[in-house]
Amino acid sequence: MKLQTFTALFLLSAAAGAQNLSIVGARAWTLTSDTPIDNATIVITDGKITSVSPTPPPASMRVIDAGGRIVTPGLMHPATRLGLIEVSSAAETVDHAAKAGASGAGFDVQYAINPNSVLIDLARADGVTRALSYPSSSNTPPFAGSGSLLHLFDGGDVVEQPRMAVFVTISNRSANSTVGSRSAQWQLLRAALDTAKAATPSATRTPDSIALESIVQGKVPLAISTNRESDLRQAIGLARDYGIRVVIVGGAEAWRVADQLAAAKIAVIADPMSNLPASFDELGARLDNPALLRKAGVTVAMSLDGVQSYNAGLSIREGAGLAVANGMSYVDGLRSIISAPAEIYGIADRFGTLAPGKDGDVVIWDGDPLEPSSAPTTVLVQGREVSLTTRQTELRDRYMPAVKALRQ
Amino acid sequence: MTRRLLRGLGHVGVVLIAAVAGTSAQAARPEPPFTIDPYPSTYQPLPRTDTLIVDVTILDGAGGRMDQGEILLRDGRIAAVGHGLPRDNVTVVQGKGRWVTPGIIDIHSHNGTYVLPLTSLDRKASDVSETSDPNVADTWVEHAVNPQDPAFAVALRSGVTTIQVLPGSTPLFAGRSVVVKPVPATNVRAMKFPGAVQALKMSCGENAKSFFGDKEEAPNSRQGEIAIIREALLRAQEYREEWHQYSRGKSKKPPQRDLKLDTLAAVLDGDIPVHMHCYRASDMSAMMGVAQEFGFKIAAFHHATEAYKIPAQLKQAGTCVAVWSDWWGFKMELQDAIRENAAMSDAAGVCTMMHSDSPVVGQRLQIEAAKAAGAGRRGGLNLPPEHVITWVTSVPAKVLRLGDRIGTIAAGFNADLVLWSGEPFSIYTKADRVFIDGAQVYDSAEPARSPESDFGLGRPEMGGRQ
Repeated sequence: MKLQTFTALFLLSAAAGAQNLSIVGARAWTLTSDTPIDNATIVITDGKITSVSPTPPPASMRVIDAGGRIVTPGLMHPATRLGLIEVSSAAETVDHAAKAGASGAGFDVQYAINPNSVLIDLARADGVTRALSYPSSSNTPPFAGSGSLLHLFDGGDVVEQPRMAVFVTISNRSANSTVGSRSAQWQLLRAALDTAKAATPSATRTPDSIALESIVQGKVPLAISTNRESDLRQAIGLARDYGIRVVIVGGAEAWRVADQLAAAKIAVIADPMSNLPASFDELGARLDNPALLRKAGVTVAMSLDGVQSYNAGLSIREGAGLAVANGMSYVDGLRSIISAPAEIYGIADRFGTLAPGKDGDVVIWDGDPLEPSSAPTTVLVQGREVSLTTRQTELRDRYMPAVKALRQ
Repeated sequence: MTRRLLRGLGHVGVVLIAAVAGTSAQAARPEPPFTIDPYPSTYQPLPRTDTLIVDVTILDGAGGRMDQGEILLRDGRIAAVGHGLPRDNVTVVQGKGRWVTPGIIDIHSHNGTYVLPLTSLDRKASDVSETSDPNVADTWVEHAVNPQDPAFAVALRSGVTTIQVLPGSTPLFAGRSVVVKPVPATNVRAMKFPGAVQALKMSCGENAKSFFGDKEEAPNSRQGEIAIIREALLRAQEYREEWHQYSRGKSKKPPQRDLKLDTLAAVLDGDIPVHMHCYRASDMSAMMGVAQEFGFKIAAFHHATEAYKIPAQLKQAGTCVAVWSDWWGFKMELQDAIRENAAMSDAAGVCTMMHSDSPVVGQRLQIEAAKAAGAGRRGGLNLPPEHVITWVTSVPAKVLRLGDRIGTIAAGFNADLVLWSGEPFSIYTKADRVFIDGAQVYDSAEPARSPESDFGLGRPEMGGRQ
């Protein structure tokens, strides 16, 4: 897989090399500072950003005039099932969970990612250029398995880096727990980490043990999907006791332990639309949860339950807008869907800001990207302008003439 | 006439029938009992004062816009809209450039029947619909509605003033809806919109055939679904005829009451509008054929993700559509959903509205409209805000047959209003104040007085009422 990824990157880099370009007239939210640069020129060479400045572009380079529009880095969805699910109720299009064989912590979704999923086209047309696609509960709870980082090129492989984080789910939802009490789930998780810690170099390796060792060795974060305050306190304790990196997915009641999460450097991938007591684990859900977490210093990213795959891009933009409406600063709203996910998964060296050396994943917007009525006008993935055509736009274009004829 | 019974004379109707049946009197034969409401509304408006809202941008819900306008609320009604209105004996609300729209109407909700928090009990048997049979036209969803569902208060705080609670889409004939105001109450009758008609929820497509088919019961195909629907409507034709014969004095003995056939006969009479869950163009087309065969109109298709493919047919049938902006991807039958659906249907002349089907989406129907309009504008359609607001105000009001009472800001209409913190289609905008029948039922400046379900008491973790 690594080899394939390398090949894909090489080919695309070569293609991008032919497309050196610059964007002029940008209102550039670089996310390296809290304010935008107006009338900025962004130069992209060989797929990388080489400069962001108010100076005119180099001669003889293709120029895209942003016309004063907002320009941001590509968005990153931090917890999606892109490439793993196309139509959730059609089992033939669903590959996000193991039921037998390679299940548990060692389950690894990288081998199932479908780059031709129409959901990927839509996510890209909504400005998403990076995504973390993750598994759901396996037959060996609380473990779900490892997620893969996707780079949403149009054509070719999209798996950029597998095994970015190991996911577990801790809750009292009987639907996804065959072991019963959440206490048993925490005990199973601790026992598995104990075993991984105690492993000797000569021990037999299994997919499970490799995944667990990668957590205790600090190579990847443990992403815990959980919501209730008591479980969030357990997660904080787990991070402390094992010295591991922990990320929370969900965290409906995280605002109640915001300071402790910040002190433990635990990031939260929150659902910014969660404000109803949907379950007994989420009684404390409230719309200003992301804002309260950010105020306490917690790194906050966005994933909206239920729509994280088929509306990957639009949903996180709307969600970030809603977080801003409920007290988060605008720039932190942008960060929550761009640079914060990059930091959570350790790819901020190449993605998440408009700065020299970063990948040329850049989006020009027709309005405010946090207004869900806005959309991209241009999306660049590693310096290459990608098509914004989706199955949906083709359906629209097929039926629009008849609609316009009726209107007259 | 039968509709008049629903407007509060229901109990009188019951008495009449009992009396007539007992004495065989020829003189005053009762109307057929199809739409008698034995459980009429007991709703009382909350305490109110006459109010003048000044310096606001008004989207009147019917396509009009007025800048720096004023609205006078008197005795629960809108008394005047304009400039320089009299200020004596009224509470003046300074709009300071904010926006006012009619209260948002959610024509498709399950609030009160899928009560939060969900538990395993709800997963086994929720109250969204009775699912023991594909025809449960005899069920009335109001008998399940729990006013303590926290979703009601959240809807109210986000500017929703009228909600139609529909049964679910598992049965083909899923039962009668109820229209409510999301005000604090201990029983549904205190929430019922006085005089609002009930609707019949129907469904087509995957849901019924999958659910009953999985149990080795009928239907297990689309054609099986339609056969069951036609059979039931044939029986309803006979039942209706028997009752009309009796009412006209042409037969002596009243027909035996049948609650399912009451509902279907009322559909055939046009007194109970049909709200039908359908996605595919082919399914909607088949159902419009059935409606034509039996001589009734489908008031609205709900979800209707492929409405944009058949606008001419929908327009001709006079059938509206209630749609999402961007929900799709979870079933094969809605894989052709596009965000332009509402805008394209609307542009082609189909009466179009947004719906929620969800307590989450139900807090932001104006944002649903904004997303759908944004997609439409990118497709070249002209959609000014004063038009887009109709999708969540006057259009659903008309479909609920309340178009002369709510959904529009004009003299004589109920004073159901939202004062928004800004332009209502922006994600950053919130409902600052909400009025129902002239009573201020929510004020964002006074969170401690916000309505909240009894469920929230004694649960400090539920935090701020926001």
